[in-house]
Amino acid sequence: METNIYSSGRGVVIYRITDEGRRYIREGLPEERLLKILKKPMLIVEVRRKAKDFTIALAWAKKRGWVKIEKNRIAAVKAPAKAEEKEALKRLAQGKTVPEKTLSLLVRRKLVVKEKEDAFRRAEKLIGKEVNALPPELIKTGLWKKVKMRPYNVEAVGPVIYPGKRHPYNRFLSDVRDKLVQLGFKEMEGPTIESEFWNFDALFQAQNHPSRDWTQTYTLKKPKTGSLPSPDIVSRVKAAHENGWKTGSTGWGYKWDPAKAAQLMPRAHGTACSARQLASGVEVPGKYFAIKRCFRPDVIDATHGVEFNQCEGIIIDESMTFRKMLGMLKMFAMEIAGADDVRFYPDYYPFTEPSVQLSAKHPDMGWIEFAGAGIFRPELTEPLGVKQPVIAWGLGIDRLAMFRLGIKDIRQLFSQDIDWLRKQKVMI
Amino acid sequence: MPTIEVNYEDLQELVGKHIPLDVLQEEGIMYAKGEVDEIEGETLKLDMKDTNRPDLWSAEGIARELQGRYAGITGLPEYNVQPSGLVVKVDRKLKNIRPLTVCAVVKNLNINHNALSQMIQLQEKISMTFGRNRKEVAIGVYDFHKIKGPIRFTSVKPNGIRFVPLEFTKPMTPEEILKKHPKGREYAHLLEGFHEYPIFIDSAGEVLSLPPIINSNHTGKVTTATRDVFIECSGFDFRLLMPALNTIVAALADRGGEVQSVKVEYGSRTVVTPDMKPGKTSLDIDYANMISGLNLDARKMSMLLKQARYDAKVRGKKIDLLYPAYRQDIMHQRDIVEDLIISYGFGRAEPVIPKIQTAGGVSRLQKLTDTAAEVMTGMQFQEIMSYMLTNKGALFEKMGMPKGSVVEIENTVSANWSVFRDRLLPGLLEFLSKNKHREYPQRIFESGDVVIPDSKAETGAVDRRHLSAAASGSGVGYEYMAGVLNAFMKNIGTDFSLKASNYPSFIEGRCAEITVSEKVIGIIGEIHPKVLNMWGIENPVVAFELDIEKAFTSAS
Repeated sequence: METNIYSSGRGVVIYRITDEGRRYIREGLPEERLLKILKKPMLIVEVRRKAKDFTIALAWAKKRGWVKIEKNRIAAVKAPAKAEEKEALKRLAQGKTVPEKTLSLLVRRKLVVKEKEDAFRRAEKLIGKEVNALPPELIKTGLWKKVKMRPYNVEAVGPVIYPGKRHPYNRFLSDVRDKLVQLGFKEMEGPTIESEFWNFDALFQAQNHPSRDWTQTYTLKKPKTGSLPSPDIVSRVKAAHENGWKTGSTGWGYKWDPAKAAQLMPRAHGTACSARQLASGVEVPGKYFAIKRCFRPDVIDATHGVEFNQCEGIIIDESMTFRKMLGMLKMFAMEIAGADDVRFYPDYYPFTEPSVQLSAKHPDMGWIEFAGAGIFRPELTEPLGVKQPVIAWGLGIDRLAMFRLGIKDIRQLFSQDIDWLRKQKVMI
Repeated sequence: MPTIEVNYEDLQELVGKHIPLDVLQEEGIMYAKGEVDEIEGETLKLDMKDTNRPDLWSAEGIARELQGRYAGITGLPEYNVQPSGLVVKVDRKLKNIRPLTVCAVVKNLNINHNALSQMIQLQEKISMTFGRNRKEVAIGVYDFHKIKGPIRFTSVKPNGIRFVPLEFTKPMTPEEILKKHPKGREYAHLLEGFHEYPIFIDSAGEVLSLPPIINSNHTGKVTTATRDVFIECSGFDFRLLMPALNTIVAALADRGGEVQSVKVEYGSRTVVTPDMKPGKTSLDIDYANMISGLNLDARKMSMLLKQARYDAKVRGKKIDLLYPAYRQDIMHQRDIVEDLIISYGFGRAEPVIPKIQTAGGVSRLQKLTDTAAEVMTGMQFQEIMSYMLTNKGALFEKMGMPKGSVVEIENTVSANWSVFRDRLLPGLLEFLSKNKHREYPQRIFESGDVVIPDSKAETGAVDRRHLSAAASGSGVGYEYMAGVLNAFMKNIGTDFSLKASNYPSFIEGRCAEITVSEKVIGIIGEIHPKVLNMWGIENPVVAFELDIEKAFTSAS
């Protein structure tokens, strides 16, 4: 890169010849080259083909009165006078002075650019000195050769920088999500505010029955009631509760109340999403999951919050059995929790039969209750239009998240301490 | 999932066989769907999983299951019932108050300390868990010899009678009991709104109890000296009352009591209780194997079910079954399959990894959220996570906003968590207010669901996924945040414009609506100092909040 300094009366200015300018020094100005081609009037299309930089050449040749256009031909009007630009470029390249008027013409034609004087002056002052920073002027003028670059204490730990990061808990949840997707699960969605219908009734939890109290649930002050799904689904669910419908069950044997089912509540478990998914149609075989906030009026302590994430899912397949369910859970424990051993215990959920609890042995955490699962009751699946066995499972991900993040109190998952977030390592 | 305590020695005596503690812990208790939580000397603290099997909530019930596996006592436990001659007349007046009762008499009891504590515990756990905290099932046990039949189950005016409630010395009216007795205060809500209260009273005018509140101190006190007892369960549904009564009767019978029936008269209709006649059902062998995957033959299957205390007879491809009267949980063959698997042993069922090929995927909303978060972290914003539950103070007052409509919780645990957030920004300000002494600048964002009331929606509200970002520190200004927003929108490929606007949370003249195709999708501005004062934040804050799905709508 050539740099040329032109000293005017007002001080030091740098004029740098552009790539285009340097080419014209070698090749001549476009308008000069055009005149060389134009021995006699020629068709515009022909000239365009022959002349490099045709548009620029024509514009400047016309401006200078060297050519004229008649119909579709171009003709030379007079022999070209010597153009000052080429000479000026040559002089600049040799570091010689050029009149200011010519310089501004060169700048206008973008053959030369004018650069700031102050930066250069500053750079010039650094000659012979020891510098910390390397300003661009030192680099591009080559003046860096004339300064000494001070050595740094390169072994010092750098300053503190806080990068933008995902929340560690969200990162963990993403990780779980990725693993489930790898295992072939599709993510489900569902509303935070649910009707009792989807939270309880569709799951075959009888109204005014202890199975309804399986978990503590919130009720709403407002809004109070919502609407029920299609009459088909409602009538089948009602029949399942009252007399078992066509499922071969006795049902609960009471009068099912649609008004109770229409009452609204915050979602108490992710299973509500599964019920909606079953009713809206599922692939067979199919695997679905959801990681959703759930709400229960629990006593708040180190292991209980009123709001927590649940990771739940379903597997629909003709050939599903209890033993295959155990196999699936074992795979979860190994893939997601990194467990090296598992144990199964009988458990109870109002909507599954049989039900199972899985404890997983983590190499560092020891035995933890990791998953609960079961085969959905036929009184649940058949009224929602699913004939095949459906396995429902839920994972204790909060517990695992606490372990991964090294925290003892579940409330810290929603920590409001920016320093804690800033210091959290990015997990793999 | 009640937690109960049983005495290890007592349990083994009831089983009639020594069961080593480790065997009980690792295997035995699973036959009763339980887990040993803690061991304190002779006392085992057990977590009983099945909310629908009150028969498993006492040493007697657990012992029945263990007998099948360890003592060779299999098949249906039999209970003989002789008539006691006692009559209970139920008044029609109770129709809307507490219309039903089922009763029993058990005689010749030898109630030792263990038997008494198990009886009290069982009664408590049944009324608490199975009886929905006495609402559906309330249980009274009385000294039979202090009662003169027939008994009337009727109702009285709140101050229409006086009796001495349990653990008290002075007679009180029902009204006084509800106000002054600890149990009265605890359960008063169950009688709220009634002009008359239910009462059991004998033919001598002696009050037995005021259900579902309290027994009388005279008749309703059972001690180790009591030989014969009268038991009643009151409520609204025979399907809950019968198994509750049968469970208690079976437990006392297992300790040597003689069960006698009571005639409960509803006008001209008489119900004789307890009805200990076993239930009848059958199991399809192929179905059992299809669900369990255990591939058992009929002989093995009936043996396992007998150990689970069924009577089983193979008939072709089915097994005909009888099950004890205290069980009300068997509605479908599926319930029997679970008993079969438990009997087989959860630890013995070999897991099979299923090979089911399906294509997985995250939801579109999650993809958008992750993309938004990626752009924000790229601009050096730290993600935070807040609770969706908050309070009106944070959403409105502290934001300088007039009160708006939000989804509200009725049975709140804490006033702090009484409504659902309808925006994320207040949570970001709360976060900043807790980090005043941390290093600035602070750049944070959150992406999460907010809940917007919507009377047209199926559930009265809709979720919207929002993104909100805030920056705070000296020298942080509107222009910076406008730049962040611009970069965000450019990077997700959405054209947008800003329209000057006024929101009370922001400084006038430093607030704009974010619009995409003429539709408002969010807001940006510098937080008003009056809002900063309310949160106690001492540095300027600029922020924006937008609807993620709407921001991505025009993304190419």
